[in-house]
Amino acid sequence: MASFILRKAEPKDVSDILRLIKELAKFEEMEDQVILTEKDLLEDGFGDHPFYHCIVADVPKQHQSHVIIGFAMYYFTYDPWIGKLLYLEDFYVMKEFRGFGIGSEILKKLSQTAVRTRCSSMHFIVAEWNKPSIDFYKRRGASDLSLEEGWRLFKIDKQNLLKLLCSSK
Amino acid sequence: MASFILRKAEPKDVSDILRLIKELAKFEEMEDQVILTEKDLLEDGFGDHPFYHCIVADVPKQHQSADSHVIIGFAMYYFTYDPWIGKLLYLEDFYVMKEFRGFGIGSEILKKLSQTAVRTRCSSMHFIVAEWNKPSIDFYKRRGASDLSLEEGWRLFKIDKQNLLKLLAILHAVQNGSTAERFV
Repeated sequence: MASFILRKAEPKDVSDILRLIKELAKFEEMEDQVILTEKDLLEDGFGDHPFYHCIVADVPKQHQSHVIIGFAMYYFTYDPWIGKLLYLEDFYVMKEFRGFGIGSEILKKLSQTAVRTRCSSMHFIVAEWNKPSIDFYKRRGASDLSLEEGWRLFKIDKQNLLKLLCSSK
Repeated sequence: MASFILRKAEPKDVSDILRLIKELAKFEEMEDQVILTEKDLLEDGFGDHPFYHCIVADVPKQHQSADSHVIIGFAMYYFTYDPWIGKLLYLEDFYVMKEFRGFGIGSEILKKLSQTAVRTRCSSMHFIVAEWNKPSIDFYKRRGASDLSLEEGWRLFKIDKQNLLKLLAILHAVQNGSTAERFV
């Protein structure tokens, strides 16, 4: 395969970003759960206050009909004990472009960003059944905080948030 | 008990916020792990780009705590992003001083967080709870919370700074040492 470049996503990339989000969701058999639109991605990522950041992997046009073949979506979170953290939300390279070190380079770029922005750590979640990903991250020094410290992720969805607002004391 | 008000934290509150962060850490027997300073909280929360937001619970001076504090509870939150549904509100820390519990302050804080989530068009509120913390788990479950780690198998991972720096050094060495890793 040929060379690739990694760069910050631009507004023109939202269509490709959504395509890759859907491909990754398809892999998890959840493609119909993606209700986000290009318009949402544009407003949320490229407005005055971006809610996420993206790195995209770009290959020269002559090799593929799609130019963007991988991406990572991240944002900054905050630990009240140590401060800023970089949170890796989505990370995907199209199947036919794997094995060339693109994923490793994306992770390196994320590490650079984390260090440059004075983040203490990079956090992310992985599904317990996703052994390839768990191994990929463990080879790079990742530790399982759910295992070591017993953390469990909870949600209160919109329906229940609205119920809370209507409930009296 | 008497009245209390909930309000957005202001720069002058960072000292109290840090105090409450340390109290909560003490409860988890981790007080010495708090290395954040008032200066960090000020820069990170009240600069051009806030990395967190805080709601504080304020009681009138005459009702202040045994060690005379006016701010007796807080919630720290920020916005995260789900690539399938968009904006989420993430609840990071949530604490009411022991002598002020049982008066509905926690419930009111949660209600205010819910209002914020709905107003800012967030699809959901997420947070983590330690599996041993049964009182908190029950508090949230009573309010409709679901355990995504249980239901969907999510586990939280970290790559700490030491390992991030290792990654940068290793990949740099690989690039210099051989071209096979990067280009084919």
